[in-house]
Amino acid sequence: MGWFLVLLAAISEIIGVVGLRFYSQEKTIRNLLIYVGGFGMSFVLLYASFNYLQLSIAYVVWIGIGTVGAVLVNIIFFGESKNLTRIISIIAIIIGVAGLKAIS
Amino acid sequence: MQKDWIYVGLTSLFELFWIFGFNVANAWWHWIIIVSLIALDFHFLSKACENLPTGTVYATFAGVGTIGTTLMDIFIFDGEFNAIKGIFMFILVLGVIGLNLSDNPSKDPVEKKGAHA
Repeated sequence: MGWFLVLLAAISEIIGVVGLRFYSQEKTIRNLLIYVGGFGMSFVLLYASFNYLQLSIAYVVWIGIGTVGAVLVNIIFFGESKNLTRIISIIAIIIGVAGLKAIS
Repeated sequence: MQKDWIYVGLTSLFELFWIFGFNVANAWWHWIIIVSLIALDFHFLSKACENLPTGTVYATFAGVGTIGTTLMDIFIFDGEFNAIKGIFMFILVLGVIGLNLSDNPSKDPVEKKGAHA
């Protein structure tokens, strides 16, 4: 349950980041809602996950999935570069998350 | 430049405050403080990003957050910690830092130096 909440929190964070990107380009109410709503939801879900997971584990997994997600969204939808450093970094995060999941 | 890094420090610090708040809040008015802390944290974050590359700021933020929450777990909330956990967290944070810094491959040397300070 805790891991599921952290995953949802990270997805909300990605929505917030996409909203931030839209909002910084075009200041509309809709974009502001995606930005603030995404981050707001993310905090609520992260808070809920603390009931099930150790604080530092929930935090680091949230940061990791959120970062990977944001980078993948940028690569897939916004045509950002996918260089070797980025691929290796993503693999490192996946190893970290999988390892933490395996031992806890 | 110096001032920008003070904002990075403040945003990292306030982040730890609200995470701590999440764990100890038990009255409705605590949440007023926590939401204010989050708002203040985002204000410092946007200030820090005005002159520094966002990737560098976020990487620092993630690193400080991870170390801070780990210390909180151990010393305040009596969580268990072991070397294997530490190693996986370290690998994960390296990935986060790598991703964020690869967003800005060539910035001026002053910023690069600052990123490692």
